[in-house]
Amino acid sequence: MLPYNLYLFFVFVAIDVPSLKCGDVVHLSASESADKLEAVPSLSTAAVSSPVPAVDTGFSFSLLSSFPEDLEVSDYCSDLLHIFGQRYVAYVNCLVPAARPVKVCQSCYSTYGSVVEIYKNISSDQMGPGNVTCRDSLLRSDRLMLVYQLYSNLESLWEDSNCAQCVTGDLESLTNDTLYFMSTLNQTLTCFEKYQQGNHTELCKNCKSAYGTLNVLYSQMEKNSTLCIDIEDAMNMTRRLWSKNFNCSFPREENVPVIAVSSFMLFLPIIFYLSSFLHSEQKKRKLIHPRRAKSNTSLMNIQDKLS
Amino acid sequence: MANITKKVSWSSRGDDSGLTGEGTPLLNGSEIPKPSRQLSGSGSVFRIGRFSTVDLEDDITSEEDPIRGRPKEIPHNEKLLSLKYESLDYDNIENQLFLEEERRMSPMGFRCLEISRWVICGLIGILTGLIACFIDIMVEKLAGYKYQVIKENIEKFTEVGGLSISLILWAVLNCAFVLVGGIMVAFFEPIAAGSGIPQIKCYLNGVKIPRVVRLKTLVVKVIGVICSVAGGLAVGKEGPMIHSGGVVAAGVSQGRSTSLKRDFKMFEYFRRDTEKRDFVSAGAAAGVSAAFGAPVGGVLFSLEEGASFWNQMLTWRIFFASMISTFTLNFFLSIYHGKPGDLSNPGLINFGRFESDSVAYYYYEIPLFMCMGALGGLLGALFNSLNYWLTIFRIRYVHRPCLQVMEALLVAAVTAAVSFTMIYFSNDCQPLGPERNEEYSLQLFCADGEYNSMATAFFNTPERSVRSLFHYQPGSYNPMTLGLFTLTYFFLACWTYGLAVSAGVFIPSLLIGAAWGRLCGILLASFTPTSPIWADPGKYALIGAAAQLGGIVRMTLSLTVIMVEATGNVTYGLPIMLVLMIAKIVGDYFQEGLYDIHIKLQSVPFLHWEAPATSHWLTAREVMSSPVTCFNRIEKVGTIVDVLSNTSTNHNGFPVVVQVLDSDEPAKLCGLILRSQLIVLLKHKVFVELARSRLSQRKLQLKDFRDAYPRFPPIQSIHVSQDERECMMDLTEFMNPTPYTVPQDTSLPRVFKLFRALGLRHLVVADDVNRVIGLVTRKDLARYHLGKHGLEELQLAQT
Repeated sequence: MLPYNLYLFFVFVAIDVPSLKCGDVVHLSASESADKLEAVPSLSTAAVSSPVPAVDTGFSFSLLSSFPEDLEVSDYCSDLLHIFGQRYVAYVNCLVPAARPVKVCQSCYSTYGSVVEIYKNISSDQMGPGNVTCRDSLLRSDRLMLVYQLYSNLESLWEDSNCAQCVTGDLESLTNDTLYFMSTLNQTLTCFEKYQQGNHTELCKNCKSAYGTLNVLYSQMEKNSTLCIDIEDAMNMTRRLWSKNFNCSFPREENVPVIAVSSFMLFLPIIFYLSSFLHSEQKKRKLIHPRRAKSNTSLMNIQDKLS
Repeated sequence: MANITKKVSWSSRGDDSGLTGEGTPLLNGSEIPKPSRQLSGSGSVFRIGRFSTVDLEDDITSEEDPIRGRPKEIPHNEKLLSLKYESLDYDNIENQLFLEEERRMSPMGFRCLEISRWVICGLIGILTGLIACFIDIMVEKLAGYKYQVIKENIEKFTEVGGLSISLILWAVLNCAFVLVGGIMVAFFEPIAAGSGIPQIKCYLNGVKIPRVVRLKTLVVKVIGVICSVAGGLAVGKEGPMIHSGGVVAAGVSQGRSTSLKRDFKMFEYFRRDTEKRDFVSAGAAAGVSAAFGAPVGGVLFSLEEGASFWNQMLTWRIFFASMISTFTLNFFLSIYHGKPGDLSNPGLINFGRFESDSVAYYYYEIPLFMCMGALGGLLGALFNSLNYWLTIFRIRYVHRPCLQVMEALLVAAVTAAVSFTMIYFSNDCQPLGPERNEEYSLQLFCADGEYNSMATAFFNTPERSVRSLFHYQPGSYNPMTLGLFTLTYFFLACWTYGLAVSAGVFIPSLLIGAAWGRLCGILLASFTPTSPIWADPGKYALIGAAAQLGGIVRMTLSLTVIMVEATGNVTYGLPIMLVLMIAKIVGDYFQEGLYDIHIKLQSVPFLHWEAPATSHWLTAREVMSSPVTCFNRIEKVGTIVDVLSNTSTNHNGFPVVVQVLDSDEPAKLCGLILRSQLIVLLKHKVFVELARSRLSQRKLQLKDFRDAYPRFPPIQSIHVSQDERECMMDLTEFMNPTPYTVPQDTSLPRVFKLFRALGLRHLVVADDVNRVIGLVTRKDLARYHLGKHGLEELQLAQT
């Protein structure tokens, strides 16, 4: 009853037309409230709180007043909530600057770990002090489930970025593979820097081995599926540098042999068809010519008759 | 002169398969059968006037031709009927043996029969599914191996130079696979060439194509299709699956294999054409179902393409077979893919699921789809015309097996060369995405981390290319790439179909269509300024694929359902149906469907659903063959042997007549007997004299006829001594006592309907006192067809 009334009340404030949507009872009370509103015509939506208590005398209406004791969130839980908020902010603060170039795994794995930890606390069904568990009160008391949603967003980010492949299981440090890759990457980049100034062909020649090692390492890691977004992005950038900026891709320089070989092959069927055409024409007898005998019986019958 | 005349008229007793080239143009043929010779010359003149379509040239040559009917040689063309094709005996022979057997059989026996029909359908489904599974896995393994080797080679040579060697390697590998497949087909079983759908279509139409449902054909077909797909030809493995299903059905339902000389003593009741043909339609359905993961599509394919004889129970059984087939395939593929029990991966070709946001289409797209349908019809007609000329050339000039193998090899090499050149000169580089892991991406001259987009289309098995065209993100292909791909693949596919390798045309058509369909989608998106969400290239690729396939094979109902089922999306039912309709209408205006062309070129006496229009004025008198070789009810063995062994008159059915004793009245029709029956009778020496002398002799049963089925021995292998020639044979018990007859004034469409609806093989034409005056067979009917200039007549020919 109460929410309906409130809703209708707002409707009336906004459009001032009798609502036809609701049942009789509600409608009655609504028009009642409308009457009351006319008494205070200057009221705007901002003034909601003052007329509302006057509408339905039977219910307490204040949005600011607190709920009875047993529905309240315990201090312990609100503390947890607070910590969650802080760590969440810290993690997001860490993430945003690491967005480009992507370093979300390397820089933020520890803050992510702390978020995970606090969420674990919140969602555990172990009793905290005062025999309370915050799981129900914080995570699933309402439709919105804000804490859960916030966390699951982070979680899906983490999963999409595949960071788990680069970070040890306890979220303490980066894996050895990752560190090794980073050092190889650095070597390559140093090499790039060294030769960047002069002719790029020089660079292509000199950094080829470093770049090649990096490439091999990367494809190996790809096979083992130990790639995370940081590594992928770094590799992408390096490859782009190598191929686009320094133009070290393989040139297309064998046009003549390729064209020669393929046109030779294209030429073969022409010879084949021509020769089989000419050859077969010479031996026409050997062809499977469908044979058609004229039995001409009708003609003969006619002839018979005539004779 | 009289002698010659006799010979000629003898030869014109075109029974089921008359004499060598009994090809009489209608003009002449119309005159033959008139036993009542009172029809004067004016009648024939009248006919000539009416039948203006007869070639003038033919007319002249027929008059110039020596009267002996010396065989005249003409190059092969589509207007011929071959003598080597015979009809199936669909009609039941209700002779006394049959009635006896029926009497002996208990109600329980009939129930058992019904159950064993279901068991057979289940077996058909399982075996077809297994074969599909085998083909799929083998193709994947072999093609995977091939592409891996070539990829490594290309990568190596991109770096150090010498890519022409990779090209040669690719061509050689292709040729090696195709060589195996080509030799198998060309030397061992030529009937296994092509997709097999035309052959199965003919079989279901009631034509006995020699060796089409043999075990050997199946083996050659399976190996051949694996080789040709792995060999990189522009072919698919779906058509051959349908043929394989048909062979499996024909084999399983007989409970024995004549090739392996094994008889399991099972299912003996089903050893006749009627039952076999029903099972073959179930097998074809199971094949479609395994190939596309489309059980309903399979059933409808059988309905649309073949089975003239259709009832609710048969349909339900066929549906059962095709469901079982899909299920089996899924089950075993799930084991192969390491997810045992996952049954949601249906079909040899899996088009993949369309994402929910790309499936949406709006009313304003329907006209676009219809335009694409028209384009598909046009391109399909072009494809068919090119293939038609090519096939005629092949039949005329490339007919020796070694030449056929060479041609296949050349096509394989050229396919490799063209693909390689396309990839080599393509500048379309796309970034590698996470979903691109499964296939063999080539980098070549692209930047690191990118792949050559042309290679996803060419350097891949065709069906994977189809899938990537359907599902890759917008922007995965350049319009240029797609255009070039469509063009080359169109000609490659057209060139490939009809080679002496077993290969289907479904996938190449889909691929061509998907390529230009995607191109349409991309162009649409670029024409409209605010890149609209509805112009999803994948969706247009699907529509294009449907249009192209519809334009080439001209199937309607079954194809719609197959496409809908293969994409797992009913939402597209309407556009696909519209597109296929338009494609068929537009295509039919120019050229027939590909399968029909090939049926025609093989000179098969194929009966369409209806008699040709404007043929009501033709009556049975003009259509039938006459005079007819008849037997008396009690006939001398010598006469029978002579008639049967006359090579020039390879008749298959003989009306049995009874002569009223001591009267001049002509003999009256009392039954019909088949060559196969006579041969069995001769083999068992069922002579009147012997029966009298040996009373204890076992009576011949229906089983004896079934044991000889389907390969009845030739008459030459049956030895009849001089004494036995004088014996008499009583045919009363064995002949079909109630053959269908028509009066001689029955119109052609009426005769046609009887044939088509009852599955007849012989139709006796009788006069008012029940004298036999002619015999209508399939070839007599099939020779009329509606050509460009009205009613035309095909000629019989020895091929």
